[in-house]
Amino acid sequence: MRYADFTPYDLVLLAQGLGVTVGLFTLTTLVGLLIAALFTLVDYYRVPVLRQVIVTISEALKNSPVLVQLFLVFFGLPAFFHINMTPFVAASLTISLNTAAFAFVIFRSGIDAVEADQVAAAKVYGHSRWQILRFVLLPQAAAFSIGPLVGLLVNQLQVTSLISVIGVFDLTKIGNILNLRTLEPFIVWTVVGLLYYALAKLLASVGARIEKRLRRSVVWEGI
Amino acid sequence: MIVIENVEKRFGETTVLKRINLTIEPGEVVTILGSSGSGKSTLIRCINGLEALSGGSITVDGNDVSTKAGLAAARRRSATVFQLFNLYPHMTALENITLAPINVLKKPRAEAEARARELLKLVGLADLASAYPQRLSGGQRQRVGICRALAMDPNYLLLDEVTSALDPEMTGEVLDILAELARGGTTMLFVTHEVEFARRISSRIVFLEQGELIIDMPTERFFAEDGGFAVPRIRQFLTKMKKD
Repeated sequence: MRYADFTPYDLVLLAQGLGVTVGLFTLTTLVGLLIAALFTLVDYYRVPVLRQVIVTISEALKNSPVLVQLFLVFFGLPAFFHINMTPFVAASLTISLNTAAFAFVIFRSGIDAVEADQVAAAKVYGHSRWQILRFVLLPQAAAFSIGPLVGLLVNQLQVTSLISVIGVFDLTKIGNILNLRTLEPFIVWTVVGLLYYALAKLLASVGARIEKRLRRSVVWEGI
Repeated sequence: MIVIENVEKRFGETTVLKRINLTIEPGEVVTILGSSGSGKSTLIRCINGLEALSGGSITVDGNDVSTKAGLAAARRRSATVFQLFNLYPHMTALENITLAPINVLKKPRAEAEARARELLKLVGLADLASAYPQRLSGGQRQRVGICRALAMDPNYLLLDEVTSALDPEMTGEVLDILAELARGGTTMLFVTHEVEFARRISSRIVFLEQGELIIDMPTERFFAEDGGFAVPRIRQFLTKMKKD
């Protein structure tokens, strides 16, 4: 067997890469959504100063390339602050914040999409701002947001492939290694591509199921 | 008692309400008539605090709606029914009605639900408790809206053109309920275009014209040839309404 041949161990490598990709994606999604939820609360309660800060951060993150953000975090921050930064930490931080910025916009538009009339009714009936958020806005905003959110996450899953550039051993990085050794780019990248495709499809189908559940109780007018 | 004193409301350069004075005593049914844009709905929205006053004051049982605590207390004493129902679409009829009693009045759920079912029965919707607003007709939605208001045990019912979005048949079913409530002694401030109905149920009629309260009369006087009807503007309005 030549050095360049495929071996069964390559499958283990691929599985490891897949694991890193899935793990990083899951982690950044959870952290990102949590940050987005906090941002949404700050925005909803119109917290002075903080609100302007998060809008600025979110704008900056949405309007610059993820790769540039990644370089800034991985090379820029350690150089400037004299701290250590592992590729995994840099990747997690960057993609979490990036997901948060976009999810924040989705959450905010979900809340804005609820008719002002309903909020007026809830105010007049004496509900607190928190109660209005919890009982009137969130259930509907969740149903409005889930579709765009799943779209975002499918995209963020693909975006994780960028982290291979700073040396995280994710699926793309493993693909790169196998490609360089075997010189079979067509086979390697087809397999890697199919794995991403399968993950994205899985994500979309889970999303569709959740969406169905959120909307089970209501068929809204005008949607 | 709802006391409205010298109330002014301006939106930018436009003055919508000009020095309005009006008092609503417990047990009264006061109808506010006037053309579209005369400020009727704005007056209701000033009483329930959806609009801030530009001048003057409103108190509900002594609670000043321009203070935070006063507004909260005033909102506990009055309940609003809206032109476009403003129901929560993701909640069943029963949930729409019990949300505020449970979370604002802190009633036990079982008690709030029992009361809601009672009210739904009263308006003829006993078997639609678990229906979502989407499934209800306009008239049924507004009846749920009325139940939601009544579930707060309000001293005052504020009705903001509650039949304007309904066809005549549905209007009838909603008005029947309001007439029933009026007979039962519920205090109401009723903004409407239903002149004939207003004549039947109200104790007093108030007429707004371009933000000014030009007439405040007992119902009979309002419709009398030598009373409100003698005022050219009122005669014109009533004649026009009859034609429509």
